[in-house]
Amino acid sequence: MKHSPKNIFVHGAITPTKIAESIQHHSAKTDIGAHSIFLGQVRADELEGGMVIAIDYTAYEQMALEKMQEIREDIFAKYTLTCAHVYHSLGEVKVGELCLFVFTSSKHRKIAIDACEEMVERIKKELPIWGKEILENNSTSWKNNI
Amino acid sequence: MNLLAFGIIAEKIGASNFSLEDIKDTDSLKEKLLQQYPTLQELNYIVSVNCKIAHGNTVLDDLAEVALLPPFSGG
Repeated sequence: MKHSPKNIFVHGAITPTKIAESIQHHSAKTDIGAHSIFLGQVRADELEGGMVIAIDYTAYEQMALEKMQEIREDIFAKYTLTCAHVYHSLGEVKVGELCLFVFTSSKHRKIAIDACEEMVERIKKELPIWGKEILENNSTSWKNNI
Repeated sequence: MNLLAFGIIAEKIGASNFSLEDIKDTDSLKEKLLQQYPTLQELNYIVSVNCKIAHGNTVLDDLAEVALLPPFSGG
C-alpha cells in the first residue's frame, strides 16, 4: 500500500483540541476497534544551569518528511492498520505542553499498540529533529535522546 | 559546495548555510571542516547527501545537498 507524503510539522505546541478533533474524525471509520495514542510532553528537567522552561525544536524538514514516509510505509507493511497520524512540533514548546502526537488505529488493540510504539521509537531515533532546551536563566542546552 | 548545518553544529559554525571549496568526498569534507572550525573536534555528527545518510567515505557532487547532522533529539 502506497501512502503519499504528509507534512508532520506544526508550529509551536500541539494543542489538546487538535488531539480531540483528530479522535473525533475517526468516528466515521467504523471498522476501527482500537486506537493507540502517544503524546510527548516537554519535561521540566533540572540541569546545571537551572530548570528547563521550554524546548526549541528545529528540523531538516525535507529529510525528516522523506524518512517519515519510509517509516510509515514500513509500519503499514508490517501491521494491519486502518490509519496512522504523526505530528511533531517546531519552534518553542513550553514545559507541560505537547510536542509529539502519534496516533494509530486498527481493528484490534495489539496491532494499534505495537505499531504506535514502533513508530514512536523510530521517530525519536531516525528523524533529523533537534531540541534545544531553554533554561530559566536563558542559557541553552542541546537535548540528548536516551 | 553549499552545506547545511543543524543543531549544535550550526551553532558552533555560526551559520546554518555556508559554502566550502574543493571538496571531493565526505572524508575531505570532515578534514576541511575541522581545520576551519576546530571546535567541531569534540562533536559527533553524520553527513547526509541529498537527504540520505552517507555511510563510509562518499564522493560528493558539487550540486548535491550536503548536510551536517548532530545526534537527533526529536520527540
